Amino acid sequence: MRSKWTPVLPILLLLLPIAAQAQAPGVYAITGATVHPANGPDIVNGTVLIRDGLIEAVGANVAIPPDAAVIDAKGAHVYPGLIDAQTSLGFPSARPQTRRRGGGGQRGAQQEQLPETSPAYIAMRNVNLTDDDIDAARGIGVTTIVTAPAFGIFNGQSAVLNLGTGTAEERVIKSPAAMQISFNPRPAWTFPDSLMGVIAYIRQTMLDAQWYSSARAVYDKNPTVGPRPETSESLEAMQPVIAKNLPVVFVADGELMIRRAQKIASEFGLRYIISGGRQGYRFADDLKAANVPVLVSVKWPIAPTSKEDREEQPLRVIRDRQLAPTTPSVFVKSGVTFALVSGAGKTGDFIPGIRKAMDNGLSADDALKATTIWPARIFGVDRQLGSLEHGKIANVVVSDKPIFDKEAKITREFVDGREVRLPSPDKKAGESAPSAVDGTWRLTVRSSQGDVAVTVTLHNENGALTGTFSGDKGSGDIRNGSFDGTTVEFTVAVKGQSETESSDWVFHGTLDGTSMSGSVTTSLGTVQFTGSKGR
Amino acid sequence: MKQIAERRAQIAGFTIALCLGFAAFAQNVTVIRDATILTITHGKIEHGSVVMRGGKIVAVGLDAQVSVPSGATVIDGAGKYVTPGIIDTHSHTSVDGSVNEISLPNSGAVRIGDVLTNEDVNVYRQLAGGTTTALVLHGSANSIGGQSQIVKWKYGRPLSEWFIPDAPRTIKFALGENPKSSNFRPPPGIPAQYPATRMGVEEVIRKSFLDAKDYMAKWDEYDARKKRGENPIPPRRDLMLDVMADILRGKVDVHSHCYRTDEILMLLNLSDELGFKVRELHHVLEGYKVAREIAAHGVGGGTFIDWWGFKAEAYDAIPYNVAMMENAGVVTVVNSDSDELARRLNLDAAKAIKYGGLSEDEALKLCTINGAKLLRLDHRLGSIEVGKDADLVIWTGHPFSTYSRVETTFIEGDVYFDRTKDLAMRAELAKEKRDRLKKEADEEGKNKKGKKEPANG
Amino acid sequence: MVKRTALLLGIAVSALQLSAQSVILNNNGKKPTVAIKNAMVVPVTAAVCNNCTIVFSGGKITAIGANAAVPDDAMVIDGTGLRVYPGMIDSGTRIGLTEVESVPGTNDISELGDLNPNAFAAIALNPHSNVIPVTRINGITAAVASPGGGIVSGQSALIQLSGWTPKEMLIQSPLALNINFPRLRTSSFDDQPQDEEAEKEARKSYTEQLDKLRDLFRDANAYAKAASARMKDVNVKRFDRDVMLESMVPVVQGRVPVIIHANLERDIRAAIKFADEEKIKMILADADDVARVIPDLKKRDIPVILGPILAIPPREDDPYDLIFTNAQKLNEAGIRFSIQSDDAHNARNLPYHAAMCAAFGLPKDVALKAITIYPAQIFGVADRMGSLEVGKRADLFISDGDPLEITTNVKRVFIDGEDIPMDSYQTLLYKKFLARP
Repeated sequence: MRSKWTPVLPILLLLLPIAAQAQAPGVYAITGATVHPANGPDIVNGTVLIRDGLIEAVGANVAIPPDAAVIDAKGAHVYPGLIDAQTSLGFPSARPQTRRRGGGGQRGAQQEQLPETSPAYIAMRNVNLTDDDIDAARGIGVTTIVTAPAFGIFNGQSAVLNLGTGTAEERVIKSPAAMQISFNPRPAWTFPDSLMGVIAYIRQTMLDAQWYSSARAVYDKNPTVGPRPETSESLEAMQPVIAKNLPVVFVADGELMIRRAQKIASEFGLRYIISGGRQGYRFADDLKAANVPVLVSVKWPIAPTSKEDREEQPLRVIRDRQLAPTTPSVFVKSGVTFALVSGAGKTGDFIPGIRKAMDNGLSADDALKATTIWPARIFGVDRQLGSLEHGKIANVVVSDKPIFDKEAKITREFVDGREVRLPSPDKKAGESAPSAVDGTWRLTVRSSQGDVAVTVTLHNENGALTGTFSGDKGSGDIRNGSFDGTTVEFTVAVKGQSETESSDWVFHGTLDGTSMSGSVTTSLGTVQFTGSKGR
Repeated sequence: MKQIAERRAQIAGFTIALCLGFAAFAQNVTVIRDATILTITHGKIEHGSVVMRGGKIVAVGLDAQVSVPSGATVIDGAGKYVTPGIIDTHSHTSVDGSVNEISLPNSGAVRIGDVLTNEDVNVYRQLAGGTTTALVLHGSANSIGGQSQIVKWKYGRPLSEWFIPDAPRTIKFALGENPKSSNFRPPPGIPAQYPATRMGVEEVIRKSFLDAKDYMAKWDEYDARKKRGENPIPPRRDLMLDVMADILRGKVDVHSHCYRTDEILMLLNLSDELGFKVRELHHVLEGYKVAREIAAHGVGGGTFIDWWGFKAEAYDAIPYNVAMMENAGVVTVVNSDSDELARRLNLDAAKAIKYGGLSEDEALKLCTINGAKLLRLDHRLGSIEVGKDADLVIWTGHPFSTYSRVETTFIEGDVYFDRTKDLAMRAELAKEKRDRLKKEADEEGKNKKGKKEPANG
Repeated sequence: MVKRTALLLGIAVSALQLSAQSVILNNNGKKPTVAIKNAMVVPVTAAVCNNCTIVFSGGKITAIGANAAVPDDAMVIDGTGLRVYPGMIDSGTRIGLTEVESVPGTNDISELGDLNPNAFAAIALNPHSNVIPVTRINGITAAVASPGGGIVSGQSALIQLSGWTPKEMLIQSPLALNINFPRLRTSSFDDQPQDEEAEKEARKSYTEQLDKLRDLFRDANAYAKAASARMKDVNVKRFDRDVMLESMVPVVQGRVPVIIHANLERDIRAAIKFADEEKIKMILADADDVARVIPDLKKRDIPVILGPILAIPPREDDPYDLIFTNAQKLNEAGIRFSIQSDDAHNARNLPYHAAMCAAFGLPKDVALKAITIYPAQIFGVADRMGSLEVGKRADLFISDGDPLEITTNVKRVFIDGEDIPMDSYQTLLYKKFLARP
């Protein structure tokens, strides 16, 4: 799958040393600032010394070596780069749902490769971070992310990535970081299309993984024992999970869902982390007792804009909306291990979300820890990241004001010891430029009955395409649309011979500037199409 | 609306006086005095008393025969009626998300028990109608649906307390129009779901059981080889086949949705042939046509008393069905399949007097002990007897009078609904809502103002 | 695709079979002189008359009283231990318009499109629907049959539950126009966070629907004006006729009332405002939130059709008995109201909807009125029906108790003075299978 990377990889490896040599010497001294190391008290008028990608020294009395480029940060604040430990940056928000029958005949809920994702899906290999993604994160002081797709059930193996320059592989701090699982039912009539189906599917997959391990073990010992057990990429990928070598991140927001995740985890003896957790305020003591780390999403519930709508809402919802942001401070009191993450929210909402937690009792000090050293610990990268300490990776952020202040602006930023580009101030964080695929396209499908003209209007939002089509074969909305920067996919329902008859055409094309070409899968076979962007 | 107060107790460790009346009193001793007690199994006691302690009924009888333990809470039941909690053997209330895993003809691997929520206000509304126990079922989209869950409606308490420890495991089967997708179809682009006929429904069930038998044989074989000291490759565990095997082993009760004569008989015949037991036929709107066959199989029937005409297979439904089945010896219940109807199953039971002439005593069983029997919990539920769970309902009048109301509902001796308290709490909760919304609006107003003031430069 | 057509065909065929006409005996066309003696007669509009005689002849009630004379030719029914009530009237049903809910071929409730003022229930009534006998043998003798769906659903008919043709069943048609007042739903009431796009979309579609409704009334007013001008003076320029607007003329002229269906407070308020603007003779229906708008209703003397009462409240936070208590709140406030089942197959349960209101505070005699004389008053037919009074239609039934109690049995039913067979499709099946060898 996604072989895009595979042929490129060796070339990249060859180029690497050359690229590295082309860099300027990486020695910097940031001086005169208030240093917030995250693992100890603030240092007034401190210095952070960076050398060759690592932090060499932090303190009030650090001697500045002659080869250091000195950055005078008087009056500013210096922090370890923030870690956003739950994102889906670099992945589209939705994948086309290649619908698959749950089983025409008699199949049970056995292990199957869900088309969107699977346990064997490796985020590191597939992540496609755009400049906008990176700028948005850096712009608020985030230098490290944990990312995996949000779609599907087994979202795949997440990665801890530094937002420096270079390839995905160069950015990797840790991969796999965790096996991420979401309770996402699939569309109706596609297994599993209910929450209980999702849970059964997860449970069956765990059982299958256990079986795989024991069946392989028996077979490996004695190949004459019986028919060879199948080889499965997915179940292979599940082995570290059932062996507790790889934690599972369960994406679960509400108390009930978290408890469901905990039940599965205890049933299969998993190492696990909860992500979401906005109702954690309700049962922090239980979470503490279970000793489970929580990645608390700061995408807090919001109120409807109109007063009337608010009044229509149940008290339960209003109360939950007002109490959710107390979760972090409640966790501090109860001693629950946690981090603050943007979760399903936009990067641009991360800092305001953290501020809201601070308004609800979280101290600035704990907010910093919850975005630096604590997530680093949760993902086992605290020897490398999470604080300003000798020997750690030099992810360093300079902010003109305390970093969570409303008016704070990031002025300098270092990732892996290299100063990185920051977004221009007029560009709002998280705001992306119109996508190359946006617009109206006139396509010609070379069908067996002759050319068929189809006009489609496409709109890209985080990789999901929406839009309409019209032409000889009818009109309507496109479905299952996706765009990953190059590849365009969408489905249209075309008219057939009679009024009631309709069938799907699945377009799979490649974008090249203002032209697009590729194939169309129809009920009668696959044909080619070409087209160009109209006005 | 006290539900919210109760919930709040459970939620965040709010200590709010409001909910104190509703929780944490398992140690309480409560006595209802001078009421008309409909024991169900031992007739009617006028001027009677019931004593609840430790979640159980510890005494019941004439006022004169029952002494009031010291420290007991005494409820004056003069003019009131007391029944056991109503049992609804067909509920979909409190399911989080879809009640159907539609995608498979046999979705036996899924479990309703995995996806219950304790925040469905309909549970509270049902308590206000005297319903205390329910079988929460998977939907009927597939010939073999998911595993269902018997619960008590302990609204405001953690879900773990809703489960009845000795309740049997259950599974939903479905026959007829729904599993054959007569009234709903997948959208274009998705092939139709198998089956499309009642023949196919039978095939799905038959094949599932045959597969289960093969599966059991494989495991037997494996165990035998292990015993012989060999080290064979283990069979793969399959959650669907596990449950099918457990049905064959008698560990899981079959509750089947059905309507028509032919499909009812099909399932009974199949159960004979393949060796599984059907516990309750649900809806079973044509049960009256084959009541003797159902009775001969020792299978129960649970139905709506008078719903009809909502689809083709419900066209021959008659309200006499209940009386006819009951008279033929079928253990019959009225159940709801509805958040609404579940609040007044007592009145559906009363209709069996009107339609088919059941006696009052027989009719009372339809929503109490008969349900307990079909859930195989009649050792602890369904009647007012010493030793049974203190799930009781106090009514303002006879539960078969349309003018009666529920006053108080107890589960295991705890009050889960009380009309007086309900009325008292309404203003309180309305105030909290007002205050919270005001606070929110005020904060936003402040923020907006801050924004509007132009920043320096 | 061929398969699909076949499937549709299959449904059509089975639909035909299912709507195959009822074989239940119907009214015999005779309106004899009948005297029920020694009964407890409950006229509803007057005091209960014990040990009473009620006489009717030629379809009209001719005498009620302890000492009413029994004509020589009268068929005498001994009412000892029994009671006589006026036939119950269901203020809102689909009776005659549906046979099997899930089989489209048997349903004539919702026409396509948003605006169907010209859809008249009277046109599509099936007098031989099996629903009719099932309903009437529980004492419901008349019902409002209403179309549904869209914004303007069509026009209701008041029908008696017997007759061999639609015309024989009609008591009044058109009875009222039905409007499902557009609903503003800009956010879900529960857990989903607010979606600004969805909110915008909802407001837009709400405004569009309101505009459509206003346009219809504007056009209908213009049409009515032109039509009446031409009626008075043939020299007025002719105009093309419009079937939709023509059906609106009696409505905009205030001769036909409008049943506006609205549930939540804000929708009800918007509906009242609309009725004010358009000077509509409004009847509010459904109206779960009716208790919140009592002064507005009172000021305008807007009557309310409540029901179904056996329904769950619209919001999580609503009191569990919200819908059960509305009737008493209206009763206390002196607002006219009646109760509907909003059902077809189980319109027979109408008295139990009323009884639930009584369980929650409505006086029992008022509950009975809400399904007899009150609907007759609201629909302007109280001079003809709705109570036992001399000169009114002989729509009545004999029961062995309070008809609002489930355990009461209805013994005999007379509609327009005709003796109604106490059988239905269901009683026949009952008898058939009791006799299974």
